[in-house]
Amino acid sequence: MQWLHAVPWDLLLIQTINGIVTGMILALVASGLTLIFGIMDVVNFAHGEFLMLGAYIAVLTIVATHNFWLALIIASLGTGLIGALVYVTTLRPLLGRDPLTTILATFGVSLVLQNYALWQFGPVARKIPEPFSGSITLFHLDYSLYRLMIAGLSAAIIGGFWLFLKFGTWGIWIRATTQDRIMAQAMGIPVPWVLAGVFAIGSAMAGASGVLFGPLVGVDHAMGFDWILRAFIVVVVGGMGSLGGSVLAAIFISLLEAYSSLWVSPAQAGIISFVVLILTLLFRPTGLFVATPK
Amino acid sequence: MTLKDLDKGQVTRRRVLAASGIGLGAAVLSPMPLRYALAQSKPYRIGSEQPLTGVAALGGKTALVGLQMAVDRINKAGGILGRAVELIVADDESKPDSGRRKVEKLVTEDNIDAHVGGYLSNICLACVPVFTENQVVNMISVCLDTTLTTSKCNKYTFRPYDFAPSQAKAFAPHLVNKMGKRWFIAYADYSWGQSTRDAYANEIKGNGGSVVGTLGIPLGTADMTPFLSKISGDFDGLFLIFFGPDSINFVNQGTDLGLRKKYKWAGDGAVAVASQLPALGDKIEGFVGVDRYVPVFDPPLDTPYLHAFYDEAVERLKKAGLENAAPDRYVQSNFEAMNALKLGIEKSKFQGRADSEKLIAALEGLEMKESADFPTGDKLLRKEDHQAFVRETIFEMREGKYHLLDTIPWQKSEVPPACTFA
Repeated sequence: MQWLHAVPWDLLLIQTINGIVTGMILALVASGLTLIFGIMDVVNFAHGEFLMLGAYIAVLTIVATHNFWLALIIASLGTGLIGALVYVTTLRPLLGRDPLTTILATFGVSLVLQNYALWQFGPVARKIPEPFSGSITLFHLDYSLYRLMIAGLSAAIIGGFWLFLKFGTWGIWIRATTQDRIMAQAMGIPVPWVLAGVFAIGSAMAGASGVLFGPLVGVDHAMGFDWILRAFIVVVVGGMGSLGGSVLAAIFISLLEAYSSLWVSPAQAGIISFVVLILTLLFRPTGLFVATPK
Repeated sequence: MTLKDLDKGQVTRRRVLAASGIGLGAAVLSPMPLRYALAQSKPYRIGSEQPLTGVAALGGKTALVGLQMAVDRINKAGGILGRAVELIVADDESKPDSGRRKVEKLVTEDNIDAHVGGYLSNICLACVPVFTENQVVNMISVCLDTTLTTSKCNKYTFRPYDFAPSQAKAFAPHLVNKMGKRWFIAYADYSWGQSTRDAYANEIKGNGGSVVGTLGIPLGTADMTPFLSKISGDFDGLFLIFFGPDSINFVNQGTDLGLRKKYKWAGDGAVAVASQLPALGDKIEGFVGVDRYVPVFDPPLDTPYLHAFYDEAVERLKKAGLENAAPDRYVQSNFEAMNALKLGIEKSKFQGRADSEKLIAALEGLEMKESADFPTGDKLLRKEDHQAFVRETIFEMREGKYHLLDTIPWQKSEVPPACTFA
């Protein structure tokens, strides 16, 4: 039992909360990404830029209205709309072709959006004020209530989306299209509209995560980059196209990193996610959190 | 051969060749003044590698504003030795591999005469060999990695502004005697952050203080909470070595975790440069920093040169899309680096890359006097390591504004040279 005394319990609890909070933000980013891949087979390299656009739309809305919650709604709708436009103009003509063409197209869209933001908003980082302040004391830290709220809100958005997929008409159409696009079309489901809708919803989720995360960082043209790489890892580990898998993988990886950083530098702990990615690709390429295909 | 000859149809191929031969021979054999006059029509080609996209885009844009401001002033005043200055800018995308590729292009394809630029230290370090191999004088204008003028010093590389050891020497007495004895250092985990950490750790200890811990955070980390959660213990002050988005993330997230309430915050001036104050908001309140330039006019900084520099820079920043931004140290050091190069060119009668040795000799030991070209005051570009020493400014952030606490003359920030040129 000697080892029990060696465990830094205070840090363990702090890192558990850190892992869950970071995991929920990551899950929100990754669920949009996995949704788009699961239904359209499109690896969306522009997903981080939708996160950034969401944050910028929120900045503009807050300047005009001083209302964070309104900004969250408008930014989500706005990025959803932009996502649909990008899909119709850029991706729709490429569907069914070599997957490399859609990867290159989304990479191009990513560069265009990033440079557009740099040109339009300039390089100076903008600020999204937190909707409320306050903190709870957690051992040696004052833990911001807003961070806890992000986790809760991310869970609520993902939960709401799950209910929508389960019970909504469009949700049923989306699931049917995921299972068999041709059969869904034969059954009268408007597949082109479903695909546009899916891209819009995925983009809107990225936009919402940009708004929620905005108060913790400066809003600038490159803010999506750090998240998108980790979101891709989560999507692969969780099983490409699996919403539940992505959520579990996001929390799993974030907790692993958080616990590892108790004993090694957090920078070294970041390597853990890459190790998990490689092991997943080697031994369970379908993902850790989806049933093994029969 | 005149226009009349052309009218008369007396121009033959033989006559044209003969006339060309005579002209070419005259140019080659003519004495220096004539050759000098011929060269006058050709502008000096000055290359500049800057991060205009990527994580350091904000700093790169403001750096370019300062450089362009100096070039425009030089050209408006008739150029250098009667020749205009042409600026050729390359975007390094904030990446060392891209930076090196772009610099190779500047040197080999664009045939630049000299270089003024470099923002991220890892890119500056990656590009030094290119300038050395091609014997091009490289006036770095932002990079602060200590080794650029110490263990990795190079005869072609000059740093006409301060570096971490001199900043630390100027700032450490204030940190230890007026803020607290025990310090924890958090730094951007790459070449600049690491060398700056070492410089401050040495000076804090040298002034009777102690460093109880250090924490490196990789560049571009969006969620710093796992790192910040590890900062705890009994110490007086938290010393920050960050720039750009990383400093915004640290200040925002560190405040949210209560670190600002528990400890005094101080750090490199890059944490609170003017261009990122809007994103820092009131969370930067109480921060004490050191810098070679801050946009403040408390005496002794209330000089006509600093006012003129500020006014013109503000206008130019506005035109560059940086509304309401005051000039920062990146504008200043690029402006003054170009003016230092101008001084060296004038002194050495530098005509092109073949004269690099003469330019180096002129820049070594160059004294820059407080003037419109050097608004931040007198400085010396030391011969032994090509490192400049400048007046340091210690400031505190109060109500979103800089408040001057002290200025340290360059003579008091001088540290012994630690360079041996190969």
